[in-house]
Amino acid sequence: MNSGTGIYFDGVTSVRREAVVELTPAALKISGPDGHLWGEWPYNEIEELAAPDMLRLGRRGSPTLERLEIRDPAFAKEIDVLAIHVDRTGLLQRRQRMRVIGWTFAATASLVLVGWFGLPAIAARLAPVLPASVERKLGDAVDIQVRGMLDTGKGGAPFECGTAAAETAGRAALDKLMRRLEAAATLPIPLRTSVARRDEANAIALPGGHIYVFRGLIDKADNADQIAGAIAHEIGHVANRDGTKAILEGAGLSFLFGMLLGDFIGGGAVVLAAKNVLQSSYSREAEAAADTYGTELMNKAGGDGRALAVILEKTGGATEPGMKILMDHPETKARITSINRLAAARPSVPFLEAGEWAALKQICAGS
Amino acid sequence: MASFDASGIATSGGVRFLGQRQSYWRLLIRGAALLMVTLGIYRFWLVTDIRRFLWSNTEIAGEALEYSGTALELLLGFLIAIALLIPIYTAFFLAALDLALLGQLSGLIAFAALAVLGQYAIYRARRYRLTRTVYRGLRFHQKGSAWAYAFRAVAWWIVTVVTFGLAYPFQLASLERYKMKNTFYGDLAGRFEASGFVLLLRGLPMWLLFFAPLALAVRDFVGLDWQALLDALAQGGDDVMGKIEGGNPGLGSVVVFAMLMAGISITLGALLYPAFQTLILRWWSSGLRFDDLQVRSRLLMRHVYGAYARFAGYAGLFAVAMTIAGTAALLLTDALAGSDASGQIATTLVLLIGYVITALGISTIYRATVLFSLWQLGMESLQLSGVSALEKVKASGRPSSAFGEGLADALNVGSY
Repeated sequence: MNSGTGIYFDGVTSVRREAVVELTPAALKISGPDGHLWGEWPYNEIEELAAPDMLRLGRRGSPTLERLEIRDPAFAKEIDVLAIHVDRTGLLQRRQRMRVIGWTFAATASLVLVGWFGLPAIAARLAPVLPASVERKLGDAVDIQVRGMLDTGKGGAPFECGTAAAETAGRAALDKLMRRLEAAATLPIPLRTSVARRDEANAIALPGGHIYVFRGLIDKADNADQIAGAIAHEIGHVANRDGTKAILEGAGLSFLFGMLLGDFIGGGAVVLAAKNVLQSSYSREAEAAADTYGTELMNKAGGDGRALAVILEKTGGATEPGMKILMDHPETKARITSINRLAAARPSVPFLEAGEWAALKQICAGS
Repeated sequence: MASFDASGIATSGGVRFLGQRQSYWRLLIRGAALLMVTLGIYRFWLVTDIRRFLWSNTEIAGEALEYSGTALELLLGFLIAIALLIPIYTAFFLAALDLALLGQLSGLIAFAALAVLGQYAIYRARRYRLTRTVYRGLRFHQKGSAWAYAFRAVAWWIVTVVTFGLAYPFQLASLERYKMKNTFYGDLAGRFEASGFVLLLRGLPMWLLFFAPLALAVRDFVGLDWQALLDALAQGGDDVMGKIEGGNPGLGSVVVFAMLMAGISITLGALLYPAFQTLILRWWSSGLRFDDLQVRSRLLMRHVYGAYARFAGYAGLFAVAMTIAGTAALLLTDALAGSDASGQIATTLVLLIGYVITALGISTIYRATVLFSLWQLGMESLQLSGVSALEKVKASGRPSSAFGEGLADALNVGSY
């Protein structure tokens, strides 16, 4: 059998035509019942289109959408054999689909690699060349956010301690401590350090040199060197521009996994998962670097480098989820060991006299 | 399922849907798995598969529709959209850093700009889908200005929100009129003839049921002593709640009543939603016209409720299975990795993967139950008259780019 019947649409009008289909060696010929030739399709130009219970054919590269529908399964099979791009077993389509899956896998792997290695590298190169004024603006914007999150306004006292009359002595002690640290650190930008009225034992550094020490940390510390150690660690974040890097990385990740990958039934959840895993890997490295910097700064300032390890150990368990903070990492033991290794063994000069330390302890006593 | 006979005989003016639910499930489940491991990149292929399945299994007056779009077109459209959005997003990011007035307002401006852009994308995406819809060897196409549509749509949304949804029927009618008068099958022009007022009358009982409890709660709130309340809030201090209570002895019961009423309202809304959807779908279908071709929908409410019941059933089973599997996985991680640092990371990972599977699973179930049924029921309930208008149509219109689809995708306003 090398001829059969079909339904033909010429792609110019919607008229449904009964057609005679003839399979010649070179091409499939479509003609009307009167023998008038409607079309001649070379076998390599025939493509199959999805349709239920029939074989629907079109012509590749044709400017019109002419269609031929074959409803006789036996005849459809004959066409299938002759036309290379028609494959009713679906093997061709499966092979094509496997290629798509392979390439999307490759694209995913490449995106994850960019996220893992590329983004931190870009952020690390970009952050140091950012002008101080831009970093300061960035820090001010973050400051508004941080205050919005942390400043509960409870009790009506200001968020920052050290302003009330009963607190000025504490503020002076903090300033003395900071002068010694800053002199040793010799940073290109001035630091702004304040104690925040929060109960958590924590400290945070924002881009542009703003450091918040939480009251809870001062309550927990045994001496001024421990506070100095924690602040030295935060100065490490400032010196390494970690806050700025984190913002750049966050923006890059949001872009890479959020917008580029878009959202489709729950795709957002995948994005969230990938972002979380990547972001936690960035911060771990930054913490280790800040520990090293902090310990060396304490050595340089003539303080007790091991004090950072002590305060770390004291607060290691008390963490607040969802905040980017000093003690938020699980490898506390490993960190303590490496800090103690770096800390100078020579005797140190305490950062504050006993009276000054007592005043610092009262820096939030104003209300 | 037996009641919606898919193997029935096609009447000359009828619409049949021939798709097997089982094949659709297979397609969706495989797609969800691939979406997960490709972080969503596979969506262009999945969405194309879904459309090809739905279109090609829909038979109108004896001829099946055809979807001629390809995944690569969608991917390209998306990349173009990204190229356009990067500078816009960068500008907003930089503006947000600025502490001046512009910076303060940048969030608001971004929201407004993206709302208009989203509607623009919706119209352009519809154009793409129409020009990839082929019937009897001719494509559909859409004229009209996407910007004109976008501003019209955003203006209507504002009116609808301000009127607590009472303007919604008129919004639908107006926007649908614009879309349909610019829709063509070949040279056959479409139009939309359903009236917003009719929809308002039919939907009013539902609107009242939904808003009545809320109105009662609001009435009680208005009766409160607001001055005392504000004073207490302004004073602050440790015992704000106590002071508020002191100034307003009735506040507690008013809040409890409001929460109760909100709960009733939300429950009613959820229960009425399938009925609302049926109403809209029937009203909308019955308003579609192409020259002499008229459409009438006889969609039955109980069938739509059936689809939602099936969704609830499958989703419930899935939730139980996920809870069991998740608990087992967490116990296992705990036993293997311990409670130290690596254990915490492993636990987080297990939770994240569980969340991803749950989100993808629920949306897959929703597509295979509710969306599949709505398509099937919506199509099979149609009765066409004046089908002869379809016989002598001439080809017209060119295929449009998938830019609109890409933009809709990037802005998360896409559909299938």
